[in-house]
Amino acid sequence: MTDTPDGNDGRHPAPDAFSAADSLRILREQQDRARSALVPDGRLLCLLWGVAWLAGYLVLWTSARGTEGIPSGPAFVIFGGLLAAAIVITIVHSARRTGGTRGAGQRAGVLWGFTWCLAFLAYPFIIGGIARAGASDDVIGLVANGLACMIVGIMYLTGSACFADDGLYVLGAWIVLTGGVATSVGMPGTYLVMALLGGGGFLVITLVLQVIHLRRRRRADTGLEAAAVRQGPGDD
Amino acid sequence: MTDLDAVIHAPARLRVVATLATLDPADEITFPKLQQVLGMTAGNLSTHLRKLEDAGYVRVSKAHAGRKPVTYLALTSQGRRAFEDYTEALTGLLKGAGA
Repeated sequence: MTDTPDGNDGRHPAPDAFSAADSLRILREQQDRARSALVPDGRLLCLLWGVAWLAGYLVLWTSARGTEGIPSGPAFVIFGGLLAAAIVITIVHSARRTGGTRGAGQRAGVLWGFTWCLAFLAYPFIIGGIARAGASDDVIGLVANGLACMIVGIMYLTGSACFADDGLYVLGAWIVLTGGVATSVGMPGTYLVMALLGGGGFLVITLVLQVIHLRRRRRADTGLEAAAVRQGPGDD
Repeated sequence: MTDLDAVIHAPARLRVVATLATLDPADEITFPKLQQVLGMTAGNLSTHLRKLEDAGYVRVSKAHAGRKPVTYLALTSQGRRAFEDYTEALTGLLKGAGA
């Protein structure tokens, strides 16, 4: 890493160990590398949740259409399995990247993680409570789904405030609105709305994040090339 | 080359500082994790960290995880400012080179 990259044809070796253009390139490359080692990848997480929601809710919807509006047991098992897999991968991926750091940002992250657990700990008690109070299967299904959307959406919105991450805000807003639309549509259409608007929405956000990522990288590359040409000895 | 901070303007130290600058200002990173991100040997990294610490750019704090001692590293506010100034000087140099 200490040898001088021959960005200037080798005709005019730089007086310093390396030129300003090399220096800026090393700086950018290293920061890219550091981010991909320390910060969870939003594209990966969005893709993961997009596939889980799209496939899982389509299974629920298909099954509910065949059996008088209520999905079958196996359909719920497949749905639960997909969500559980997405949760495990999210936790492992985030823990791997954020492990080995500590501080206020890290502390906020841990508290935020606990809040997720608390919310979903209380969740089944609320659903159980309305079931015991005599709610029909349709009502239980609607509340279970709508409440989950509100928890997940609002958690992302608070996460965006915690970590100054605009991407999380878009994600949270989208989930809260999807929950509202899906609940007002009614069963079993709720599941189709969740699959298409929710799962499909995640996939669209993945695509947008990828385009932004590529565009940013291209802009940085062309900026560096132009800088290298301007700096090059052949320019005068 | 004018006015580039000599403490930062060396490939290995530039990579160390650039990595630390991606952390939240309130966060710290363990020595092994930093070493893993940089792909440097422990001895090499220690040498560069000492130079950065001597310049007041890096803060080293020791803690214990159970019985194991853990070393945490972070940029000081002075170090963060120096890195920002360095990046600005670099960009200015590259822009100016075309004129």
